Amino acid sequence: MMIPNPLALIAEITHRCPLHCVYCSNPLELAAASSELTTEEWVDILQQAGKLGMLHAHFTGGEPLARPDLTELIAGARTAGLYTNLITSGIGLTEARLQELIDAGLDHIQISFQDSREEAANWIAGAKAHAHKLELSRIIRQHKIAFTVNLVVHRQNIDHLDEMIAFIEQLAPERMEIAHAQYYGWALRNRAALLPTRAQLEKAVEAVAVAEKRLAGRIRVDSVVPDYYARFPKACMGGWGRRLMLINPAGKVLPCHAAEVIPGLEFENVRHQTLEFIWNESSSFQRFRGEEWMPEPCRSCDQRTEDFGGCRCQALLLTGNATATDPACSLAPAHHIVEAALAEANSGAAVSQPVPAASFVQLQQRAANLWSYRTNPE
Amino acid sequence: MPPPEDSAQPRLAAGCRWGAEKENKTGSKPARVILYPEGALRLRDTGLLILERCDGQRTFGEIIAELQATFGDADPEKIRGDISQFLEQLRHKRIVDY
Repeated sequence: MMIPNPLALIAEITHRCPLHCVYCSNPLELAAASSELTTEEWVDILQQAGKLGMLHAHFTGGEPLARPDLTELIAGARTAGLYTNLITSGIGLTEARLQELIDAGLDHIQISFQDSREEAANWIAGAKAHAHKLELSRIIRQHKIAFTVNLVVHRQNIDHLDEMIAFIEQLAPERMEIAHAQYYGWALRNRAALLPTRAQLEKAVEAVAVAEKRLAGRIRVDSVVPDYYARFPKACMGGWGRRLMLINPAGKVLPCHAAEVIPGLEFENVRHQTLEFIWNESSSFQRFRGEEWMPEPCRSCDQRTEDFGGCRCQALLLTGNATATDPACSLAPAHHIVEAALAEANSGAAVSQPVPAASFVQLQQRAANLWSYRTNPE
Repeated sequence: MPPPEDSAQPRLAAGCRWGAEKENKTGSKPARVILYPEGALRLRDTGLLILERCDGQRTFGEIIAELQATFGDADPEKIRGDISQFLEQLRHKRIVDY
């Protein structure tokens, strides 16, 4: 099979983070700081990525600002011809450091807010971060850099989405992302407290549509219906081994954030293999690439070139079988699992409060906004 | 959202810049692309001709005139309408400003 070039590198440069969000998408087992790749190793990886045809480098974590060499990594990515995006909580970013990153060639910065209401936001993040992010947003707008505000929505905050959109609007970003929590890691453990009701969702979809119209030409609004409520699953990562490579802090190369939950897969490390080899030859990247692995009903479904059978990790987490059709799909044999979660969410029974992620775990959701990857205007 | 005025000077929006695809063994010809925060817009043919001219210097009127001259066989009003619509869509996506 002809393998297209990968499009983007997700550089998870550290798992260290000052926050502890309840929907954290980092693995429950984190890479230790002592095993982190060095500056020289990252710069070499970024060179390889550029040669392999990648277009973007997304710096994330953990909190990427926890790496004192971030400026050198951004500069390394630009030298390699890559578009650079920093996905950050903003904790640890001063105006002087922002200027340094911009001078090094940073193209775009994305900050996640947990809520428009300070108390709720700080509670979700497990840290007093909200006021700092507000101040930082004002500083960012005084610089010539593209700015996206990301907001993770879920059962606990979706009822005041209107207010949150108005809050983001006054921060004046180029783009806002309304990202529904995705149920992996901590979010799966906290699903009952996070999954919205159908009535909540319908109201939210309407609020987004109204905002899109009002903000057209000023702020681009990106939003995706949470897959539990969708008819077809999400095209996770734009298809396995099709567009993205993720490198974790210790150099392990993954086809997606959560891939390590899948038993039987062995992942290569950039300390031992080239990116080109890993993309083209490694068994982990080939495992769910293309259509050979697909079960029915995917194999004969017209949607298979759109959603690629959905998410392998979600299939594994919900059914115990990574080769199953994603249960989020309305045609999946195991769709009843998702229906049961929805029935519970819509039953009107009181749900428990979510449990914050363990204290050493980081917050950032950067999973939700990278699950899809666009190369054409929709 | 209004279409561009003839005097407007369309340009790439903040956070968008030119890049290029690399050769690939699949044999498809590499395209010029506009890179934006979470994606890339692949450009060929007329889309490329239009966006290469969105340099913040040329006016919308000049861009139309140049492309009307390049495509002399086509209806000039159709060319104007198509370019206008294309730029409006890209402004909506925050890829072009005018």
